[in-house]
Amino acid sequence: MYPASFEYHRAASIKDALSMLKQFGDEAKLLAGGHSLIPMMKLRLAQPAHLIDIGSIKDLSMIREDGAVIDIGGLATHADVESSTAVKQKLAMLSECAALIGDVQVRNRGTIGGSLAHADPAADYPAAILALEAEIKVESESGARTIKGEDLFVDLMTTSIRSGEILTHVRIAPIPAGAGAAYLKYRQPASGFATVGVAAVVTMKGNNFDKVRLGVTGLAAKAFRAKAVESALSGKGRDAIASAASHAADGIDAMSDIHASAEFRAELARVYTARAIELAASRAKS
Amino acid sequence: MKIAGEQNLSASRDSVWELFNDPDRLSRLIPGCEKLEVLGPDEYGGTINVGIAAVKGVYSGKLKLEDKRAPEHYKISLDGKGKQGFIKGAGTLDLEAKGANETLVKYAGDVQIGGPLMQVGQRMIESASKMMLGQFFAAADAELKAHAVGQVARQGIFVNFWRWIVRVIASLFKRS
Repeated sequence: MYPASFEYHRAASIKDALSMLKQFGDEAKLLAGGHSLIPMMKLRLAQPAHLIDIGSIKDLSMIREDGAVIDIGGLATHADVESSTAVKQKLAMLSECAALIGDVQVRNRGTIGGSLAHADPAADYPAAILALEAEIKVESESGARTIKGEDLFVDLMTTSIRSGEILTHVRIAPIPAGAGAAYLKYRQPASGFATVGVAAVVTMKGNNFDKVRLGVTGLAAKAFRAKAVESALSGKGRDAIASAASHAADGIDAMSDIHASAEFRAELARVYTARAIELAASRAKS
Repeated sequence: MKIAGEQNLSASRDSVWELFNDPDRLSRLIPGCEKLEVLGPDEYGGTINVGIAAVKGVYSGKLKLEDKRAPEHYKISLDGKGKQGFIKGAGTLDLEAKGANETLVKYAGDVQIGGPLMQVGQRMIESASKMMLGQFFAAADAELKAHAVGQVARQGIFVNFWRWIVRVIASLFKRS
Protein backbone atom coordinates (compact mmCIF):
# COMPACT_ATOMS: atom_id res chain seq x y z
CA MET A 1 0.00 0.00 0.00
CA TYR A 2 1.04 3.61 -0.14
CA PRO A 3 0.81 5.77 2.96
CA ALA A 4 -2.28 7.72 3.93
CA SER A 5 -2.11 11.41 3.04
CA PHE A 6 0.23 13.51 5.12
CA GLU A 7 1.90 16.92 5.13
CA TYR A 8 5.69 16.85 4.78
CA HIS A 9 7.80 19.41 6.61
CA ARG A 10 11.58 19.70 6.56
CA ALA A 11 13.16 21.00 9.75
CA ALA A 12 16.30 23.11 9.27
CA SER A 13 17.38 22.85 12.89
CA ILE A 14 16.40 21.26 16.20
CA LYS A 15 14.69 24.49 17.22
CA ASP A 16 12.67 24.37 14.03
CA ALA A 17 11.73 20.75 14.62
CA LEU A 18 10.72 21.42 18.23
CA SER A 19 8.43 24.29 17.27
CA MET A 20 6.81 22.14 14.58
CA LEU A 21 6.32 19.33 17.09
CA LYS A 22 4.61 21.80 19.41
CA GLN A 23 2.47 23.15 16.61
CA PHE A 24 1.19 19.80 15.37
CA GLY A 25 1.10 17.91 18.66
CA ASP A 26 0.41 14.20 18.41
CA GLU A 27 -0.64 14.47 14.79
CA ALA A 28 3.08 14.68 13.97
CA LYS A 29 5.88 12.12 13.78
CA LEU A 30 9.57 12.81 13.42
CA LEU A 31 11.27 11.26 10.39
CA ALA A 32 14.95 10.39 10.67
CA GLY A 33 16.13 7.46 8.54
CA GLY A 34 12.57 6.28 8.04
CA HIS A 35 13.35 2.60 8.09
CA SER A 36 11.01 1.89 10.98
CA LEU A 37 8.41 4.57 10.32
CA ILE A 38 7.96 4.45 6.53
CA PRO A 39 7.22 0.69 6.36
CA MET A 40 4.59 1.23 9.08
CA MET A 41 3.13 4.13 7.14
CA LYS A 42 3.01 2.11 3.95
CA LEU A 43 0.98 -0.50 5.76
CA ARG A 44 -1.09 2.28 7.29
CA LEU A 45 -0.35 1.06 10.81
CA ALA A 46 0.89 4.56 11.51
CA GLN A 47 -0.92 7.47 9.89
CA PRO A 48 0.63 10.69 11.13
CA ALA A 49 -0.99 13.73 9.56
CA HIS A 50 2.35 15.58 9.64
CA LEU A 51 5.86 14.25 9.03
CA ILE A 52 8.72 16.37 10.37
CA ASP A 53 11.88 15.40 8.52
CA ILE A 54 14.92 16.03 10.72
CA GLY A 55 17.25 14.02 8.45
CA SER A 56 19.09 17.01 7.08
CA ILE A 57 20.11 18.58 10.38
CA LYS A 58 23.87 18.36 9.92
CA ASP A 59 25.23 18.63 13.46
CA LEU A 60 23.12 15.71 14.65
CA SER A 61 24.97 13.08 12.68
CA MET A 62 28.45 13.65 14.09
CA ILE A 63 30.34 11.08 16.15
CA ARG A 64 33.07 12.63 18.25
CA GLU A 65 35.04 12.31 21.47
CA ASP A 66 33.82 14.79 24.04
CA GLY A 67 36.25 14.66 26.92
CA ALA A 68 35.97 11.25 28.54
CA VAL A 69 32.90 10.26 26.58
CA ILE A 70 32.05 9.26 23.00
CA ASP A 71 29.21 11.47 21.79
CA ILE A 72 27.12 9.94 18.99
CA GLY A 73 24.63 12.24 17.30
CA GLY A 74 21.09 10.88 17.05
CA LEU A 75 21.18 11.02 13.25
CA ALA A 76 24.35 8.90 12.91
CA THR A 77 23.46 6.00 10.65
CA HIS A 78 24.19 2.41 11.64
CA ALA A 79 26.87 2.42 8.91
CA ASP A 80 28.39 5.55 10.51
CA VAL A 81 28.49 3.89 13.93
CA GLU A 82 29.93 0.69 12.44
CA SER A 83 32.77 2.46 10.62
CA SER A 84 33.59 5.30 13.03
CA THR A 85 37.23 5.19 14.19
CA ALA A 86 36.36 6.46 17.66
CA VAL A 87 33.69 3.75 18.06
CA LYS A 88 35.91 0.97 16.70
CA GLN A 89 38.73 1.92 19.03
CA LYS A 90 36.84 2.65 22.23
CA LEU A 91 33.39 1.03 21.85
CA ALA A 92 34.21 -1.91 19.58
CA MET A 93 31.17 -3.91 20.70
CA LEU A 94 28.84 -1.12 19.53
CA SER A 95 30.45 -1.23 16.08
CA GLU A 96 29.98 -5.01 16.10
CA CYS A 97 26.33 -4.55 17.06
CA ALA A 98 25.65 -1.94 14.36
CA ALA A 99 27.25 -4.17 11.73
CA LEU A 100 24.65 -6.86 12.46
CA ILE A 101 21.58 -4.63 12.03
CA GLY A 102 19.26 -5.46 9.13
CA ASP A 103 21.06 -5.21 5.82
CA VAL A 104 23.29 -2.74 3.97
CA GLN A 105 20.41 -0.55 2.81
CA VAL A 106 18.97 -0.33 6.33
CA ARG A 107 22.40 0.43 7.79
CA ASN A 108 22.97 3.24 5.28
CA ARG A 109 19.73 5.02 6.15
CA GLY A 110 18.62 3.92 9.63
CA THR A 111 19.79 6.09 12.53
CA ILE A 112 20.72 5.25 16.11
CA GLY A 113 18.40 7.95 17.48
CA GLY A 114 15.47 6.76 15.42
CA SER A 115 16.07 3.14 16.36
CA LEU A 116 16.30 3.90 20.09
CA ALA A 117 13.23 6.15 20.10
CA HIS A 118 11.24 3.51 18.20
CA ALA A 119 12.19 0.86 20.79
CA ASP A 120 11.31 -2.18 18.74
CA PRO A 121 11.48 -5.16 21.13
CA ALA A 122 13.69 -7.04 18.64
CA ALA A 123 16.09 -4.19 17.83
CA ASP A 124 19.83 -4.72 18.36
CA TYR A 125 21.02 -1.42 19.86
CA PRO A 126 19.05 -1.60 23.13
CA ALA A 127 21.09 -4.58 24.37
CA ALA A 128 24.37 -2.71 23.69
CA ILE A 129 23.07 0.57 25.15
CA LEU A 130 22.18 -1.20 28.40
CA ALA A 131 25.42 -3.19 28.68
CA LEU A 132 27.48 -0.06 27.93
CA GLU A 133 25.45 2.02 30.44
CA ALA A 134 24.95 4.76 27.87
CA GLU A 135 23.23 8.07 28.52
CA ILE A 136 20.68 9.55 26.17
CA LYS A 137 20.32 13.29 25.74
CA VAL A 138 16.94 14.68 24.69
CA GLU A 139 16.01 18.27 23.88
CA SER A 140 12.72 20.05 24.21
CA GLU A 141 11.54 23.64 24.13
CA SER A 142 12.20 23.88 27.88
CA GLY A 143 15.79 22.69 27.59
CA ALA A 144 17.77 19.48 27.52
CA ARG A 145 17.74 16.51 29.88
CA THR A 146 19.68 13.28 30.21
CA ILE A 147 18.03 9.87 30.41
CA LYS A 148 20.08 7.00 31.80
CA GLY A 149 20.12 4.02 29.43
CA GLU A 150 18.52 1.80 32.06
CA ASP A 151 15.57 4.23 32.32
CA LEU A 152 15.01 4.61 28.59
CA PHE A 153 13.05 1.46 27.74
CA VAL A 154 9.72 1.42 29.53
CA ASP A 155 7.53 -1.10 27.68
CA LEU A 156 6.71 -2.40 24.21
CA MET A 157 7.81 0.32 21.77
CA THR A 158 7.54 2.80 24.62
CA THR A 159 10.42 4.91 25.92
CA SER A 160 10.65 7.55 28.62
CA ILE A 161 11.06 10.21 25.92
CA ARG A 162 8.13 12.57 26.36
CA SER A 163 6.07 14.08 23.58
CA GLY A 164 7.68 17.32 22.44
CA GLU A 165 11.18 15.90 23.05
CA ILE A 166 13.76 14.91 20.44
CA LEU A 167 16.59 12.44 21.08
CA THR A 168 19.73 14.32 20.05
CA HIS A 169 22.79 12.48 21.43
CA VAL A 170 23.87 9.11 22.76
CA ARG A 171 26.81 9.48 25.15
CA ILE A 172 28.84 6.45 26.13
CA ALA A 173 31.95 6.08 28.28
CA PRO A 174 34.63 3.99 26.53
CA ILE A 175 34.80 0.29 27.38
CA PRO A 176 37.40 0.11 30.21
CA ALA A 177 40.89 -0.91 29.10
CA GLY A 178 41.31 -4.63 29.71
CA ALA A 179 37.56 -5.30 29.62
CA GLY A 180 36.14 -7.70 27.04
CA ALA A 181 32.88 -7.11 25.20
CA ALA A 182 30.76 -8.94 22.64
CA TYR A 183 27.35 -8.81 20.99
CA LEU A 184 25.81 -12.04 19.68
CA LYS A 185 22.35 -12.60 18.28
CA TYR A 186 20.06 -15.23 16.83
CA ARG A 187 19.12 -13.57 13.59
CA GLN A 188 15.58 -13.86 12.23
CA PRO A 189 16.46 -15.01 8.69
CA ALA A 190 14.06 -12.76 6.77
CA SER A 191 14.07 -9.48 8.66
CA GLY A 192 17.45 -9.66 10.36
CA PHE A 193 15.86 -8.66 13.65
CA ALA A 194 17.22 -10.19 16.85
CA THR A 195 14.91 -13.03 17.87
CA VAL A 196 17.24 -12.81 20.86
CA GLY A 197 20.41 -10.68 21.17
CA VAL A 198 22.83 -10.46 24.08
CA ALA A 199 25.48 -7.78 24.69
CA ALA A 200 28.14 -8.48 27.31
CA VAL A 201 30.84 -6.27 28.84
CA VAL A 202 33.08 -8.05 31.36
CA THR A 203 36.12 -7.12 33.42
CA MET A 204 38.23 -9.86 34.99
CA LYS A 205 40.29 -9.91 38.17
CA GLY A 206 42.79 -12.69 37.71
CA ASN A 207 40.75 -15.61 36.44
CA ASN A 208 37.52 -14.48 38.05
CA PHE A 209 34.79 -12.13 36.86
CA ASP A 210 34.97 -8.72 38.47
CA LYS A 211 32.21 -6.70 36.82
CA VAL A 212 29.69 -8.12 34.33
CA ARG A 213 27.09 -6.09 32.44
CA LEU A 214 24.59 -7.91 30.23
CA GLY A 215 21.93 -6.41 27.98
CA VAL A 216 19.29 -8.74 26.51
CA THR A 217 17.00 -7.81 23.62
CA GLY A 218 14.36 -9.73 21.71
CA LEU A 219 13.24 -11.83 24.67
CA ALA A 220 10.76 -9.50 26.36
CA ALA A 221 8.58 -6.55 25.34
CA LYS A 222 11.54 -4.32 26.23
CA ALA A 223 15.31 -4.87 26.48
CA PHE A 224 16.65 -5.43 30.00
CA ARG A 225 19.82 -5.95 32.06
CA ALA A 226 20.16 -9.59 33.13
CA LYS A 227 21.08 -8.67 36.70
CA ALA A 228 20.48 -12.20 38.07
CA VAL A 229 23.17 -13.55 35.73
CA GLU A 230 25.50 -10.64 36.50
CA SER A 231 25.45 -11.24 40.25
CA ALA A 232 25.74 -15.02 39.80
CA LEU A 233 29.06 -14.46 38.02
CA SER A 234 30.62 -11.87 40.30
CA GLY A 235 33.82 -13.26 41.83
CA LYS A 236 33.41 -16.60 40.07
CA GLY A 237 35.51 -18.20 37.34
CA ARG A 238 34.63 -19.09 33.77
CA ASP A 239 33.32 -22.48 34.83
CA ALA A 240 30.37 -20.66 36.45
CA ILE A 241 29.17 -19.27 33.10
CA ALA A 242 26.83 -22.14 32.21
CA SER A 243 24.97 -22.16 35.51
CA ALA A 244 24.84 -18.34 35.69
CA ALA A 245 23.49 -18.07 32.14
CA SER A 246 20.70 -20.51 33.02
CA HIS A 247 19.08 -17.58 34.88
CA ALA A 248 18.98 -15.35 31.80
CA ALA A 249 15.20 -15.64 31.34
CA ASP A 250 14.26 -15.84 35.04
CA GLY A 251 11.20 -13.82 35.92
CA ILE A 252 10.88 -12.53 32.37
CA ASP A 253 7.59 -12.66 30.46
CA ALA A 254 9.02 -13.93 27.18
CA MET A 255 7.32 -12.94 23.92
CA SER A 256 5.70 -15.56 21.75
CA ASP A 257 4.99 -15.11 18.04
CA ILE A 258 5.26 -16.88 14.67
CA HIS A 259 9.06 -16.62 14.75
CA ALA A 260 9.59 -18.28 18.13
CA SER A 261 7.59 -19.56 21.07
CA ALA A 262 8.23 -18.11 24.52
CA GLU A 263 9.99 -21.34 25.55
CA PHE A 264 12.27 -21.27 22.53
CA ARG A 265 13.10 -17.59 23.10
CA ALA A 266 13.94 -18.28 26.75
CA GLU A 267 16.26 -21.11 25.71
CA LEU A 268 17.87 -18.88 23.05
CA ALA A 269 18.44 -16.25 25.72
CA ARG A 270 20.19 -18.77 27.98
CA VAL A 271 22.38 -20.11 25.18
CA TYR A 272 23.33 -16.73 23.73
CA THR A 273 23.99 -15.26 27.18
CA ALA A 274 26.49 -18.03 27.85
CA ARG A 275 28.12 -17.58 24.42
CA ALA A 276 28.32 -13.78 24.71
CA ILE A 277 29.93 -13.99 28.17
CA GLU A 278 32.41 -16.61 26.94
CA LEU A 279 33.39 -14.49 23.96
CA ALA A 280 33.65 -11.31 26.05
CA ALA A 281 35.72 -13.10 28.70
CA SER A 282 38.10 -14.48 26.06
CA ARG A 283 38.64 -10.92 24.81
CA ALA A 284 39.30 -9.54 28.30
CA LYS A 285 42.76 -9.16 29.78
CA SER A 286 42.98 -10.31 33.38
CA MET B 1 -3.99 -16.66 20.06
CA LYS B 2 -4.68 -17.91 23.55
CA ILE B 3 -4.82 -15.40 26.37
CA ALA B 4 -5.03 -16.49 30.00
CA GLY B 5 -4.06 -14.99 33.30
CA GLU B 6 -4.93 -14.08 36.85
CA GLN B 7 -4.97 -10.76 38.58
CA ASN B 8 -5.66 -9.71 42.16
CA LEU B 9 -7.95 -6.76 42.72
CA SER B 10 -8.31 -5.07 46.11
CA ALA B 11 -12.06 -5.17 46.56
CA SER B 12 -14.76 -7.62 47.58
CA ARG B 13 -16.04 -10.04 44.96
CA ASP B 14 -19.41 -8.29 44.90
CA SER B 15 -17.75 -4.93 44.19
CA VAL B 16 -15.68 -6.42 41.38
CA TRP B 17 -18.75 -8.13 39.87
CA GLU B 18 -20.61 -4.83 40.07
CA LEU B 19 -17.77 -3.06 38.28
CA PHE B 20 -17.47 -5.65 35.52
CA ASN B 21 -21.18 -5.34 34.75
CA ASP B 22 -21.37 -1.57 34.67
CA PRO B 23 -20.76 -0.21 31.13
CA ASP B 24 -20.19 3.37 32.29
CA ARG B 25 -17.46 2.45 34.76
CA LEU B 26 -16.00 -0.21 32.45
CA SER B 27 -15.63 2.25 29.59
CA ARG B 28 -13.33 4.38 31.73
CA LEU B 29 -11.05 1.40 32.39
CA ILE B 30 -10.56 0.17 28.84
CA PRO B 31 -7.52 2.00 27.47
CA GLY B 32 -8.66 4.36 24.70
CA CYS B 33 -12.35 3.56 25.11
CA GLU B 34 -14.61 6.53 24.62
CA LYS B 35 -17.97 5.11 25.54
CA LEU B 36 -19.76 1.82 25.90
CA GLU B 37 -23.35 2.08 24.75
CA VAL B 38 -25.99 -0.38 25.80
CA LEU B 39 -27.28 -2.11 22.68
CA GLY B 40 -29.41 -4.66 24.46
CA PRO B 41 -29.47 -6.76 27.60
CA ASP B 42 -25.79 -7.54 28.35
CA GLU B 43 -24.74 -6.29 24.94
CA TYR B 44 -22.54 -3.21 24.59
CA GLY B 45 -21.07 -1.36 21.64
CA GLY B 46 -18.38 1.26 21.45
CA THR B 47 -15.21 2.58 19.87
CA ILE B 48 -11.67 2.20 21.17
CA ASN B 49 -8.66 4.28 20.15
CA VAL B 50 -5.86 1.74 20.39
CA GLY B 51 -2.41 3.28 20.38
CA ILE B 52 1.05 1.94 21.11
CA ALA B 53 3.62 4.56 20.15
CA ALA B 54 3.10 5.37 16.46
CA VAL B 55 0.72 2.52 15.79
CA LYS B 56 -2.74 3.96 16.31
CA GLY B 57 -6.12 2.80 15.15
CA VAL B 58 -9.80 3.18 15.87
CA TYR B 59 -11.77 0.04 16.34
CA SER B 60 -15.52 -0.16 16.67
CA GLY B 61 -17.01 -3.26 18.14
CA LYS B 62 -19.56 -5.17 20.12
CA LEU B 63 -19.16 -6.86 23.46
CA LYS B 64 -21.61 -9.50 24.67
CA LEU B 65 -21.87 -11.03 28.13
CA GLU B 66 -23.45 -14.47 28.42
CA ASP B 67 -23.82 -17.41 30.81
CA LYS B 68 -23.87 -15.06 33.74
CA ARG B 69 -23.59 -16.67 37.18
CA ALA B 70 -23.46 -13.75 39.58
CA PRO B 71 -21.12 -12.92 41.24
CA GLU B 72 -18.56 -15.40 39.97
CA HIS B 73 -18.62 -16.07 36.23
CA TYR B 74 -19.55 -14.87 32.80
CA LYS B 75 -18.60 -15.51 29.21
CA ILE B 76 -17.48 -12.61 27.00
CA SER B 77 -17.59 -12.47 23.23
CA LEU B 78 -15.99 -9.63 21.35
CA ASP B 79 -16.21 -8.55 17.72
CA GLY B 80 -14.22 -5.50 16.62
CA LYS B 81 -13.34 -3.98 13.25
CA GLY B 82 -10.99 -1.22 12.25
CA LYS B 83 -9.19 0.01 9.15
CA GLN B 84 -6.13 -2.02 10.07
CA GLY B 85 -7.85 -5.29 10.73
CA PHE B 86 -10.34 -7.09 12.87
CA ILE B 87 -10.39 -8.66 16.31
CA LYS B 88 -12.68 -11.52 17.29
CA GLY B 89 -12.56 -13.11 20.68
CA ALA B 90 -14.36 -15.29 23.17
CA GLY B 91 -13.42 -15.99 26.73
CA THR B 92 -14.49 -16.48 30.30
CA LEU B 93 -14.10 -14.41 33.41
CA ASP B 94 -14.13 -16.02 36.86
CA LEU B 95 -14.05 -14.20 40.17
CA GLU B 96 -12.78 -15.91 43.31
CA ALA B 97 -13.18 -14.27 46.71
CA LYS B 98 -9.83 -14.23 48.48
CA GLY B 99 -10.84 -12.07 51.41
CA ALA B 100 -13.16 -9.28 52.44
CA ASN B 101 -11.23 -6.90 50.24
CA GLU B 102 -9.48 -9.13 47.80
CA THR B 103 -10.69 -10.89 44.70
CA LEU B 104 -8.79 -13.06 42.27
CA VAL B 105 -9.84 -12.43 38.69
CA LYS B 106 -9.16 -15.34 36.35
CA TYR B 107 -9.50 -14.78 32.63
CA ALA B 108 -9.03 -17.17 29.73
CA GLY B 109 -9.88 -16.90 26.09
CA ASP B 110 -9.07 -17.15 22.45
CA VAL B 111 -8.53 -14.10 20.27
CA GLN B 112 -8.29 -14.03 16.47
CA ILE B 113 -6.72 -11.05 14.81
CA GLY B 114 -6.66 -10.49 11.10
CA GLY B 115 -5.94 -7.96 8.39
CA PRO B 116 -2.82 -5.81 7.88
CA LEU B 117 -2.37 -5.52 11.64
CA MET B 118 -1.95 -9.27 11.84
CA GLN B 119 0.28 -9.65 8.79
CA VAL B 120 2.73 -7.04 9.92
CA GLY B 121 2.33 -6.70 13.64
CA GLN B 122 1.87 -10.37 14.50
CA ARG B 123 5.13 -10.52 16.41
CA MET B 124 3.92 -7.82 18.77
CA ILE B 125 0.23 -8.67 19.15
CA GLU B 126 0.74 -10.76 22.25
CA SER B 127 2.98 -8.21 23.98
CA ALA B 128 0.60 -5.42 23.03
CA SER B 129 -2.38 -7.36 24.43
CA LYS B 130 -0.51 -7.99 27.67
CA MET B 131 0.32 -4.31 27.92
CA MET B 132 -3.33 -3.31 27.45
CA LEU B 133 -4.56 -5.93 29.93
CA GLY B 134 -2.02 -4.58 32.42
CA GLN B 135 -3.35 -1.05 31.92
CA PHE B 136 -6.95 -2.31 32.24
CA PHE B 137 -6.34 -4.09 35.56
CA ALA B 138 -4.34 -1.19 37.00
CA ALA B 139 -7.22 1.15 36.13
CA ALA B 140 -9.74 -1.35 37.58
CA ASP B 141 -7.81 -1.53 40.86
CA ALA B 142 -7.65 2.28 41.10
CA GLU B 143 -11.36 2.60 40.27
CA LEU B 144 -12.32 0.01 42.92
CA LYS B 145 -10.25 1.80 45.58
CA ALA B 146 -11.70 5.21 44.67
CA HIS B 147 -15.23 3.80 44.61
CA ALA B 148 -14.72 2.28 48.08
CA VAL B 149 -13.45 5.60 49.47
CA GLY B 150 -16.53 7.30 47.99
CA GLN B 151 -18.80 4.78 49.67
CA VAL B 152 -17.09 5.13 53.06
CA ALA B 153 -17.45 8.90 52.79
CA ARG B 154 -21.14 8.51 52.02
CA GLN B 155 -21.56 6.02 54.89
CA GLY B 156 -19.68 8.38 57.19
CA ILE B 157 -22.10 11.20 56.45
CA PHE B 158 -25.11 8.93 57.03
CA VAL B 159 -23.76 7.51 60.28
CA ASN B 160 -23.00 10.96 61.62
CA PHE B 161 -26.46 12.22 60.68
CA TRP B 162 -28.03 9.24 62.46
CA ARG B 163 -25.93 9.87 65.57
CA TRP B 164 -27.00 13.50 65.52
CA ILE B 165 -30.71 12.50 65.42
CA VAL B 166 -30.16 10.10 68.33
CA ARG B 167 -28.46 12.89 70.32
CA VAL B 168 -31.34 15.27 69.60
CA ILE B 169 -33.97 12.74 70.69
CA ALA B 170 -31.94 11.80 73.79
CA SER B 171 -31.60 15.45 74.74
CA LEU B 172 -35.37 15.88 74.37
CA PHE B 173 -35.96 13.03 76.83
CA LYS B 174 -33.37 14.40 79.27
CA ARG B 175 -35.23 17.66 79.70
CA SER B 176 -38.46 16.05 80.78
